[in-house]
Amino acid sequence: MNKRYLFLAVVVVLLGIGMLFMPGTNDNKQVNPELLLSAIDDPSRFLTTDDITDRLVKQDPALLLLDVRPASEFGSFSIPGSVNLPVDSLLSAPAMEMLKQDAKDKVFCSNSDVTANQAWIISKRLGIKRIYVMQGGINQWFNTIVKDTKPAESASSKTIELYQFRVAACQHFYGSPEMAAAPKTEVKKTVTVVKKASGAASGGGC
Amino acid sequence: MVGPLIPMGVIPEAWNNVIALLLGAGFGFTLEASGFSSSRKIMGTFFGYDFVVLRVFFTAAVTAMTGIIYFDYMGWMDASLLYINPYYVMSAIVGGIIMGLGFALGGFCPGTSFTGVAIGKIDALFFTIGLFIGVFVFSELYPLFDALYNSQNLGGAKIYDLLGMRQNVFAFLLIVAAVGMFYFAGVVEKKVKKVEY
Repeated sequence: MNKRYLFLAVVVVLLGIGMLFMPGTNDNKQVNPELLLSAIDDPSRFLTTDDITDRLVKQDPALLLLDVRPASEFGSFSIPGSVNLPVDSLLSAPAMEMLKQDAKDKVFCSNSDVTANQAWIISKRLGIKRIYVMQGGINQWFNTIVKDTKPAESASSKTIELYQFRVAACQHFYGSPEMAAAPKTEVKKTVTVVKKASGAASGGGC
Repeated sequence: MVGPLIPMGVIPEAWNNVIALLLGAGFGFTLEASGFSSSRKIMGTFFGYDFVVLRVFFTAAVTAMTGIIYFDYMGWMDASLLYINPYYVMSAIVGGIIMGLGFALGGFCPGTSFTGVAIGKIDALFFTIGLFIGVFVFSELYPLFDALYNSQNLGGAKIYDLLGMRQNVFAFLLIVAAVGMFYFAGVVEKKVKKVEY
């Protein structure tokens, strides 16, 4: 046999043996980095505080407002109707159950945008759908809904309508802005997610 | 980490056809240079007097596979971004039988028939005319074949997943099989009477 062919055969077999000792590639199922980057650039994940408030007042069942601050901060002030899900427990089993409800719009909020965005990116990489961030966070919510400044009489009717909406929403939640600012004495809410058995039949009905 | 250059936007989309033309010309040149424009050389694989087709295609497969695996390991490219043709089970079987019959009858596969035309082979010219008639008939009768053509799509199925094997173990076995086949082909070539062409 031709020596050259023998040499090439030995080289390729040696390369093959080298492959056997390579560590297996970890095939992590997650969102393509490029798609993630374009999703990060896309501002459509932001929902305004007014939009969230409107849905809270209407008790939209598809809205799940997730407060990603630590439990201590959540205890001292929180948006009525929000659920505490500290960002460090985002990957826990009950949190995943909560996030994997495809029929709900999961909206993250924190003091500003930063922590909520972190939670959003983690969830996005896990492939969770219908996730949003409340723009400006709880600070923005407090400044617009609770402590909104009265617009001038000459302001456009749209601005005045928005102000009236905010005042009404505040009254809906707290009665008055002073009560919102007052320290909360309420017992800390604990959220338990009831996991539905995978094979369970749908209840009720004939 | 580098992926396929055009989808990653390293090379603009507009260059796609230009690059395809250059690669196609290179591919055709190499086919012709390896003697693939001769239908007798190609038919040698079926009759056992010339295994150059087997050698060339398995060498190409093994080289590309080894390159991809090592480049991926080194982090020079991201093999997970490579496009994998979806596997349609029935259409692959039916198409494979038709392709094989045409290959054995005509002595060309679509690529080599064009290299044959390029150097002025008359049999290659007729084969290519038949190829275009086939394309035309298939396109006109597409609604008839639609169900078969698009049935049983397994997506980008990989053989080592189906076998439940590690990718690299499969690659190693394929290399060993290819080298074994090259050796065996050489033995057969020595035994079978030489055909002059």
